Amino acid sequence: MKFTNLPMLCVSLVLCSGSVFSSDESLAIETEVETEILAEGLNHPWSVTFISADEMLVTELSGDLRRVSNGRLNPRPIMGVPEVLFAGQGGLSEVLVDPNFADNSLIYLSFSAPDTDKPKLNQLNVIQARLEGNVLVDHKTLFQSDPPRRTAAHYGARLAFLADGTLLVTSGDGFNYREQAQALDNHFGKIVRINTDGSIPEDNPFTNRPNALPEIWSYGHRNLQGLVIADDGTVYEHEHGPQGGDELNLVLPGKNYGWPAITYGVDYSGAMISPFTEHPDMEQPLKYWDPSIAPSGMILYRGDMFPHWQGNLFISALVPGDVRRLKMQDKQVVEEETLFTEFGRIRNIVSAPDGSLILVTDGEDGKLIRVSAKK
Amino acid sequence: MIKQIQTFLISLIIATFLVVTQTTATNLIWLQSIGMPVDMQVVLSAMATDLVDMNFRGAFPVIGLIFVGLLIAFITARIIAIWSSIKKPYLYALAGGAALLAIVALMPLAFYNLDLIAGARTVAGKAYLVVAGMIAGYYFGSHPQQGDSNEIH
Repeated sequence: MKFTNLPMLCVSLVLCSGSVFSSDESLAIETEVETEILAEGLNHPWSVTFISADEMLVTELSGDLRRVSNGRLNPRPIMGVPEVLFAGQGGLSEVLVDPNFADNSLIYLSFSAPDTDKPKLNQLNVIQARLEGNVLVDHKTLFQSDPPRRTAAHYGARLAFLADGTLLVTSGDGFNYREQAQALDNHFGKIVRINTDGSIPEDNPFTNRPNALPEIWSYGHRNLQGLVIADDGTVYEHEHGPQGGDELNLVLPGKNYGWPAITYGVDYSGAMISPFTEHPDMEQPLKYWDPSIAPSGMILYRGDMFPHWQGNLFISALVPGDVRRLKMQDKQVVEEETLFTEFGRIRNIVSAPDGSLILVTDGEDGKLIRVSAKK
Repeated sequence: MIKQIQTFLISLIIATFLVVTQTTATNLIWLQSIGMPVDMQVVLSAMATDLVDMNFRGAFPVIGLIFVGLLIAFITARIIAIWSSIKKPYLYALAGGAALLAIVALMPLAFYNLDLIAGARTVAGKAYLVVAGMIAGYYFGSHPQQGDSNEIH
């Protein structure tokens, strides 16, 4: 992995500062922030996770796993990452640390890779591996989406741990296979729930339903790009819709989220996907965006740096490129604010242990930008 | 010349209508198969919406794609007709089919194997769209061209 701007990073300075005015009148808080580039020259960065207070791992869709320590990008990628299919929206996607990472050094990766039997087809894969120094060892495949797909789009590929230690995996509809999101015999358009040894929890909602895959946890999704678990166990998920149909959902096990039988969007060709927007057996989104914002990542803010933002959802967006702050009340969106419009397409957002926000910009020259409270 | 343009535009409308309504039908047939309430009002409304939106509100105008495809195909057929003995309705039918085949085959190559026309996601769907191009081409070839004698081939 080429890294040409190390000297600049060594002297990475506060590049700009500004104010974000909260429109929350009850708080009437003006949030003054300053931003700093932590790393740049990343090749399509996709996911970021902290492994300690000052160390993070970053995936590049092109296939490398990078380490940023004390604000400096290690020029050498972590070794032992499986070969990925870097095409379209596919590649090395999510990185997630085990809840007991300090003890077991386990991390989880999601990525697209060619099917071993039919190399023209590809699958979403989830593996577990142990991080030893700068090398991944003891790889174990936990999940492979089935059936394999021809397309290189709509993988989902987000991971999150529930409080009981089981792992949720988002598996997108593969674009061409959208109708399959309504069938329970495949992984298109699903959230699946597995144990960290790859087995299937016995209390999954469809374990006893004939012809249903027992790992399915919810269905009727499109391209799920954001997944967070609140402290009370509430699962929030957002997904790319077609034109005009991006959704934020509160996900419950066994529920059908409607895609593509009900949707607020239309196809890219302009075609109506469905004339229906609701059905008694299908869930409504908490919120949908029309026009689309192309939501790309999400956190639930729990940090101390911006105390008035605690409990808010932050959603990164690719179009036109910003962050949406959603104030939640009784599991409903009561306010939306658009932030950080100056960085272009934002691929992801994470919260650092110190409470600052890390924005991940999209593209071949992706950056990690730290947003801190102005001192 | 004006009559030839008129014939071309009618063949373009025929192909576009068949392509758009096939996508509409594909969507509605599936919706009905899973128990969604698809009635005649829904069918007519969806067809009308798609005919407007797929041609004028999508990321790419379907009618524009077909226009370019048929134009290139019919010009090529016209050149081939100089030395070919194939009857013109059949020659233009082949040209129209080739135009639609190119559209449904080449678009996925440019977009990570994605079929952006929903009706073209299956082999049967692609075959139908090729037949739609052949029908449009047959119509065009069945009408006298500039420089033709008055006989209908």
